[in-house]
Amino acid sequence: MGRWREWAADRFGWKPLADTVLHRRVASGAWYFGDGATLALLLGVLVATGAAMSLTYSPGPETAHESVSRLTHDVILGWFVRALHYWAAGVMVVMLFFHLFREILVGGYKAPREGTWLVGVVMLFLVLAMSFTGYVLRWDERGFYAARVAMHTVHNVPVIGERLVLFLQGGDEAGPYMLTRFYAAHVILVPLFLLPLVGYHLYLVMLHGITSPTERRQPVATAEEQRRIYEADKNSPDRGATFYPATMLQSGAMAAVVFAGVVALAVFVGPRDIETEANLVQRSLPAEEWWFWWYSALIALLPPWLAPAFVVLFPILAFVALVLLPFLDRTPHRGIRNRPVWCVIVTACVVAMLWLTDLRRRSPWTGWPDPEPPPVPAGVELAPDVERGRQLFARFGCNSCHPVAGHGRQVGVDLTALGSPRARDEIRDYVLRPPEGVAMPAYQDQIDSGRMSREELELIVGFVHVAQTFPRNQ
Amino acid sequence: MERRALLSQWLVTGGSLALAGISAVPSFIAAISPALRGRSDHGWQPLGRLDDFPEGAVVRAEVEVPRPDASRALREKGVYVWRASPDETVVYSRNCTDLSCPVTFDEGSECFFCPCHGGIFARNGERLAGPPNRPLDRYATRVKDGVLEIDLNSLPAFT
Repeated sequence: MGRWREWAADRFGWKPLADTVLHRRVASGAWYFGDGATLALLLGVLVATGAAMSLTYSPGPETAHESVSRLTHDVILGWFVRALHYWAAGVMVVMLFFHLFREILVGGYKAPREGTWLVGVVMLFLVLAMSFTGYVLRWDERGFYAARVAMHTVHNVPVIGERLVLFLQGGDEAGPYMLTRFYAAHVILVPLFLLPLVGYHLYLVMLHGITSPTERRQPVATAEEQRRIYEADKNSPDRGATFYPATMLQSGAMAAVVFAGVVALAVFVGPRDIETEANLVQRSLPAEEWWFWWYSALIALLPPWLAPAFVVLFPILAFVALVLLPFLDRTPHRGIRNRPVWCVIVTACVVAMLWLTDLRRRSPWTGWPDPEPPPVPAGVELAPDVERGRQLFARFGCNSCHPVAGHGRQVGVDLTALGSPRARDEIRDYVLRPPEGVAMPAYQDQIDSGRMSREELELIVGFVHVAQTFPRNQ
Repeated sequence: MERRALLSQWLVTGGSLALAGISAVPSFIAAISPALRGRSDHGWQPLGRLDDFPEGAVVRAEVEVPRPDASRALREKGVYVWRASPDETVVYSRNCTDLSCPVTFDEGSECFFCPCHGGIFARNGERLAGPPNRPLDRYATRVKDGVLEIDLNSLPAFT
């Protein structure tokens, strides 16, 4: 048996490979250096599950949606493969930002690792592109409108915007070729660039090593100094290790824990629900996937004069800033403990992203028609006129924006939180003609057109007058 | 001797570029061909008889998309028709002017709501709230033999 193994190792060139990759000495890392291995593992999961799904998925707009349903319900363990792919994708985006922020904190982009960093920045944007094009392929309303948001963003690019849209859409309608092109991008074009870059990135990591313990302790001014320090560290018994099995075990631990989380999500939460098939006719409440929520909330907070330019410039400026980072920050300090300013900046970014994500989850800016009138608080009985006013409050769309005692939409001010109680005349004047700059329609127009009668107006005013006194927040 | 080596180098570089170019350049041109073609010319499409649209109201209507290769579910596009007066009809695109999420008209408040970032528009299309920086887009309209028509080419290609 040993002779066959020796023969194979010689003919298939295993020994040089094992010596260079597995049996090399490397500097020791902390626990958080496992984030790279985690990303590699998740990528492998995505490629494997993606390949499996491509055997059932039908990339034509007539059949795509149905094929996703078939994959979920008819294919043995299809739901699991889909769920694993979906959660691995989302967690990969989270780990990507973890890796990005962690490298910034450690100073992993400093000499001589600028090349590793630059390749990584390109990979960041390619993975984000994958995490976007992927869910368009469901060709349900959510994915379809996500693609249209992308087209609108692209159209905001000056001069070439319209041509870019025609190119990405494959024509002048969001029609048949748009899905084809998104599929080609997700399955062939982006992986064609991403996978070799992963290899190149790993080669560069092997070449320049991770930021070693001594580098993390003392200032390092030049690439030559770094190479000397790294060489000493990797060969020392307490600051270095052999890649296989020691380092692989350590980084593999983080990868295994994260992957266990992904599997748990796949099993207990399952794949994303498939919504109605892509169409341009039905009323719809689309939303992007959760890993983009922070960005969506950011857009919702923008003033109108900034919004169109922001959606184009933000990704471009972020890319430029990341590319320039190794050239702008040339201080010799590496290691998280020696970079307090970056600690503050990264912490602020993470807190902001988490807060924005929660904001989008709540979406307090969304007004929407609601046929249900606001609930009557427990123990309160309304006079018949006030009750009629309550019904009209919904019929005339007041509750599309205004909450009452914490219930309902949150666009307008809560009617139990108007400050001092308002008199009926004040309420009536406001409803008929809100002040300039308030995002409320003037109901005088509905009186003039005859849509709303004077009697109905009085009943609504009566309800608001009473609702002011409802106990707040049930 | 040196000149021959240089010639060989030039041949390898130039030859490689030429061979790559023969497949790469046409592939690239084919890939961007929709951008070079521009928009189709069957823009004007009927919406229905003008008199079927009630005065003063905003109603939903559907226009047929004239692409024979359009998929079943995308063969029709929803729009909002507001017959402001007997002679003035406005047809709104459902694309919110922020980032093209589909707006919904609320009959009660006579406002358009966008589900994404809080865009709110009045009945006349004017922006009331949110990041949109311009009113709702309107299709070019005409009335031909009593039928209301809109020009699909009057709005950008992603609409």
